[in-house]
Amino acid sequence: MYGSGLLKGLSITIKHFFEKKITQQYPEERPALPKRFRGSFELIPSKCIVCSLCSNACPNNIISIQSKKDENNKKKLTGYQMMMGSCLYCGFCVEVCPTGALYITQKYENAVFFRQNLNVSLFKDEPEQMLQAVRSEAE
Amino acid sequence: MIRTEEMKLNFGPHHPSTHGVYRAVFTLEGEYITHCVNHLGYLHRGIEKLAESKTYNQFIPYNGRLDYVSGMMNEAAYVQAVEELMGISDQIPERAQYIRVIMSELQRIASHLVFYASMALDMAGSTPWFYGFRDRDRILDLFEMAAGNRMMPNYMRIGGVAADLNEEFLPTLRKLLDDMPKCIEEYNGILTGNEIFQARTIGVAPLSGEKALNYGMSGPSARASGIDYDLRRDEPYGIYDRFKFNVPVTQNGDTFDRYLVRLLEIEESVRILEQAYRDLSEGPVMAKVPKVIKPPAGEIFYRIEHSKGHFGFHIVSDGSNKPYRLRIYSPCFVNVAPFEEMAVGLHMQDAIATFASLDIILGEIDR
Repeated sequence: MYGSGLLKGLSITIKHFFEKKITQQYPEERPALPKRFRGSFELIPSKCIVCSLCSNACPNNIISIQSKKDENNKKKLTGYQMMMGSCLYCGFCVEVCPTGALYITQKYENAVFFRQNLNVSLFKDEPEQMLQAVRSEAE
Repeated sequence: MIRTEEMKLNFGPHHPSTHGVYRAVFTLEGEYITHCVNHLGYLHRGIEKLAESKTYNQFIPYNGRLDYVSGMMNEAAYVQAVEELMGISDQIPERAQYIRVIMSELQRIASHLVFYASMALDMAGSTPWFYGFRDRDRILDLFEMAAGNRMMPNYMRIGGVAADLNEEFLPTLRKLLDDMPKCIEEYNGILTGNEIFQARTIGVAPLSGEKALNYGMSGPSARASGIDYDLRRDEPYGIYDRFKFNVPVTQNGDTFDRYLVRLLEIEESVRILEQAYRDLSEGPVMAKVPKVIKPPAGEIFYRIEHSKGHFGFHIVSDGSNKPYRLRIYSPCFVNVAPFEEMAVGLHMQDAIATFASLDIILGEIDR
């Protein structure tokens, strides 16, 4: 019969009409993301040994590391910046980190108002740097 | 006094049914197309050139940016090409090979579902869009679980895969495979049997097998015209020779056949997935490869059966840790070429349906 295909399609959609809704109401409901999801990066400065493997592994060279030598002639981390605007979120930097200092988190809301705020400093031990970050957020 | 004249119409580059930034210039005689010219290059990012400044490993994440609805397959093609160049393709662990097949076939289903959804949407049917994307989302959830990202997974590595499947992966996959036959029934019920859909697609823009061959088409678009050729069966790569599956082929080469072949391919992919799920064994997922990858000087062309056709990499190595030249053979670039010829004589609306049935992705055409 001509039109039976149409009716069949309609019967399928009507069946789904009475099912539970699967839409997630985003700002109120948050998705439970798996552990491997690459949302953003965080650093434990005390664990970092300034080996620069992460910045060498990065395809886009977005990681810049500053360090100084202490009295034992050992490198100490003084700054760690990521230009998140050019980040591919490939996770190679985390993969090569030998001490687990750099790790991924599931925080995915990375939008900022100004382009310069995309240059994220992951090293936030020094109070002056903290202050600067707060100031730039306020602007 | 009524005066008529030809009209030039720019279709795209920002039209929603151009599947990206594709632009065609139609010459219209009333509502009918008398001439069509393809314009490409709006999404050119110079990925081939970028590859020359990246090490072999660093180029893997860029593959997701080629055909952005089948990232896993692009990566699989690239890493297998480099492995072949290094001569280590026989050392890849069994489990990694099976995981590659599972991921590739899941990605093929996901890609065909995008095709199904967007083709329906281009013909003003928005319900099938949600059904296709509902199931594609479950596949992307699986990728997110195993690889970390949904569309740019960066999961394949030279020598295996990045990490083993996690605990929840296989039970979730099992559930998806159990639901899949019912879902395919739904797709067919909503769209394939729909009389309006059939009236708009059957017999529209037929392409003969001979012409498809002359244009160099491959994949489902060529198989719809009766070209019975599938690399998975005819030139098996990886471990595809261990699986039993049919290659769906139709003879008419019209818009409806191009649609039908892809839906039938989803069924075959489910069959392959069932076998891979059954045979998946424990073991390592990464072969012993050096940290710095330096293939010997030489060149290789390696291609796989991608969701869109034959997708290949031509890599020239000079023995250093970066490719001297990397060329991407893109099936979409080839498959969009006959559109110039197919569009002539078509109604404007039929041209959009025909264009959708070719299933092209601009990220791969422009690279």
